[in-house]
Amino acid sequence: MTRYIIRRLLWGVALLIIVSALTFVMFRILPTGDPAKLRAGRLQNPKIIAEIRNNLGLDKPLLTQFWLYMKGIFLHFDLGFSYYSNAPVKELISTRLPATLSLVFGGAVVWLTAGLAVGIVSARRARSRLDRVSMGGALVLVSAPEYWLGLILLYVFAADIGQVRIFPGAGSYVGLTGAPVKWLTAMILPWLVVAAGTAAVYARLIRGSLIETMSEDYIRTARAKGLSERRVVLRHGVRAAINPVLTILGLDIAALLGSSVLVETVFDIPGIGRLNFDAINHSDFPIVQGTVLLAALFVVVANILVDIAYAYLDPRVRYS
Amino acid sequence: MRSLRTILLVGLAGVLVLALAACGASKTSSSSSGAGASSAVAAGIQTPATESLTGGKKGGTLTVLNHEDFEHIDPGQSYFSIDYEAVYATQRPLYSYKPNTFSEVTPDMAESAPQITDGGKLVTVKIRHGVHFSPPVNREVTSADVAYAIERAANSNVANPYYMGYFSAVEGMPKASGGPIPGITTPDKYTIEFHLTEPAGEIVANALVLPMSAAVPPEYAKKYDAEKPSEYGNHQVATGPYMFKADSSGKVLGTGYQPGKSATLVRNPNWDASTDHRPAYLDQIEVKIGGDTEVIGRQVLEGSHIVQDDTVAQPIVKLAYEKYRDQLLISPGSGDHYMAVNNSYGPFTDVNLRKAFWAALDREAMNKARGGSLVTNVMTHFLYPGMPGFEKAGGLAGPKVDYNEHPRGDMAVAEKYMKLAGYPSGKYTGGKTIQVVGSTGNPNAQNAEIANQTLKNMGFKTKFNLVDQSVMYSKYCGVVSEKIDVCPNVGWISDFGDGQAVLDVPFNGKLIVKNGTNANWGLVDHPKINAAMAAAEKLVGAGAREDAWAKIDEELVAEAVAIPYDWDKQAAIRAKDVLGVGDQWNIGSWDFNYTSLK
Repeated sequence: MTRYIIRRLLWGVALLIIVSALTFVMFRILPTGDPAKLRAGRLQNPKIIAEIRNNLGLDKPLLTQFWLYMKGIFLHFDLGFSYYSNAPVKELISTRLPATLSLVFGGAVVWLTAGLAVGIVSARRARSRLDRVSMGGALVLVSAPEYWLGLILLYVFAADIGQVRIFPGAGSYVGLTGAPVKWLTAMILPWLVVAAGTAAVYARLIRGSLIETMSEDYIRTARAKGLSERRVVLRHGVRAAINPVLTILGLDIAALLGSSVLVETVFDIPGIGRLNFDAINHSDFPIVQGTVLLAALFVVVANILVDIAYAYLDPRVRYS
Repeated sequence: MRSLRTILLVGLAGVLVLALAACGASKTSSSSSGAGASSAVAAGIQTPATESLTGGKKGGTLTVLNHEDFEHIDPGQSYFSIDYEAVYATQRPLYSYKPNTFSEVTPDMAESAPQITDGGKLVTVKIRHGVHFSPPVNREVTSADVAYAIERAANSNVANPYYMGYFSAVEGMPKASGGPIPGITTPDKYTIEFHLTEPAGEIVANALVLPMSAAVPPEYAKKYDAEKPSEYGNHQVATGPYMFKADSSGKVLGTGYQPGKSATLVRNPNWDASTDHRPAYLDQIEVKIGGDTEVIGRQVLEGSHIVQDDTVAQPIVKLAYEKYRDQLLISPGSGDHYMAVNNSYGPFTDVNLRKAFWAALDREAMNKARGGSLVTNVMTHFLYPGMPGFEKAGGLAGPKVDYNEHPRGDMAVAEKYMKLAGYPSGKYTGGKTIQVVGSTGNPNAQNAEIANQTLKNMGFKTKFNLVDQSVMYSKYCGVVSEKIDVCPNVGWISDFGDGQAVLDVPFNGKLIVKNGTNANWGLVDHPKINAAMAAAEKLVGAGAREDAWAKIDEELVAEAVAIPYDWDKQAAIRAKDVLGVGDQWNIGSWDFNYTSLK
């Protein structure tokens, strides 16, 4: 198991280097703005632009630029300096990361809890009215765009602009450590939006998987042994049925960490997604590179954690 | 990844409304322009010209909700309307404008009006006694600090975006890469002189309203200016009534400014009200950055002690007009949008084709996409409302030429000019495919589509691309070698109230920058117009300059050097308990120095 983890980690590092290289090349091939010219402004002369290009290291050969960048990351954990914000990328990312982590992990708890609960109930009462309503509702939530859903929730429930003023609205995010209660109440609507679509997918997934699992021989055996139905479902049924959910859970969390821009924008949460979006708009390459690398890191780590979790949840899975 | 990025960009493009980049607009004098500006706004709506600057209540915290972030908070770098609101609250340039005027400059860090002598080749400014920098510098400001502020503009680590446009006549400035610059001298602690190589005193004096003339203490700033790029903005000190909140070392980044998140302006303890025209009623200004523009709009209209300081979403402007009219400010004279057509390469080198395009374009449809008559006027020439010479150049109706007479487009007139251009069928049959590069995000994309369809109706085959606005300028329309035929989404906001600041850079052939960032997007290079501009640049005196630039405007229309379609009227909104004061010189943005809470 240890060898397996080490091997996966090494592959993960290789993957991060490849992702960095691809981002680096894409940014230069695609028709993005010239950072030196963007920084120089409208009326600038060639001399100043050349000097800015030199200052930013953009006049060096591409390979040299990439080498210097990678050296900075691996030797000094230095992600560079934002062209646009005049601030170290590491500092910008570290100030934004807590907000995104709050959004994603809180959302994951909501979607996992809701998805599992609805999925299990639907599976146990398959084809009942409750099942049909649940799965129909799931279909609606899957189809609802996050941006639209966020606006609707704000216009209905936000304390400043809603019709039924219950929850804090957009721009009310505060750090967890500063004011935990405010943080919790401010995150309720964003969590609901983040969780809605994913919870619906999970509910449908769990339902299908559990219905299949509950018809397995070992479930019949468990029942024959006289175990309670609750124990049969939760200990034997759900434990086996949850594997497909676990597979996508890691990827969903990782993907959302890098792409939560829509929810962050609607609720004015200063997170990584918005940082990345603004950076793309401003051709601020160091930030794009840093945030993409971070998202890739999340995917790699999540995949390794999911693989490890498999081994613990399913006795048939063993790595060597 | 690529498709995801595209989806995200397209998904947000519909809800993001970008504020126009650059430039506080202002002017030195005009008797007629104010009327032109006010006549362009519906009755009963607040404009900067109708607001009161006195009687505000002292104290309180104003919350500012902006979708967009500052571009630069360093006074030597800032060149954006949102930047200006913070920079003019924290810094004191030599001259500034009171909010409700487009016509009168007020001495700010300067003690009195600039003296232009030696046939326009020497500008002398006396600065005030008793103005101090904020902590941790604390000492009195001297003329050497102003000199350093202007010299650092030429340092590529600072890279001020406009110094070459207005200060290139200062002796030694074009070749400078920081100070000292021989043309800037400080005979004593309270006097600064600008020695010019040509009689450009008027334009240099006008440009002293720009924030790069705000004092910077060299002994404190030099180490930050040595960084690549300069980090002075992150450690800046203030001379104005407010300062960015900072730690004891003066560090602003992470304390008073968190990029993309927030900014906090607090009172500058060293500011002396007796030296300043600003009342500075507020105790604190909290700027929150990000969020959806429509949500922000509703929060402002229904909230308390809040304003929005960047571009208001179109549905919110409509909502404010219908239900919250007393919370709406409309500021005419907020710049323009026009189509750059290539005067130097391709089919549009023919003046008759340019006139045909002008005649064919439905400018009312273009403006409807931008929000209609509440926030636009059909643009009929190149000096915009409020600028000196606007009325003389034709006012709102514009010059009486047939291709300008029908704002909804007139294909019959267009065909007349097509025939004069040598296309007897009235349609283009030249065979060349023309390249049209516009900007993503509505209303720009809608305007570009209308332009493209108009060209097709005229018989042109087009290669049509929409890219991000910054890419449009830096990769296509601002690059001479790309030879783009039509750029439908370019625009201009004047840096100060002088015709030269509106017409010179976009239409003077001598200012085409072949290897830099070119802003003469249509590559307009007509010897007669160039000569007229060269003569007008040297004129001293507001009246003479107004006449000269109005005549140049008429010549630009006669040559149809570009296709004008929109004079902007910027909308701003505030909560009902905010006594908002908008800046006429800065596209109507709220002025933190004059705004107060009810």
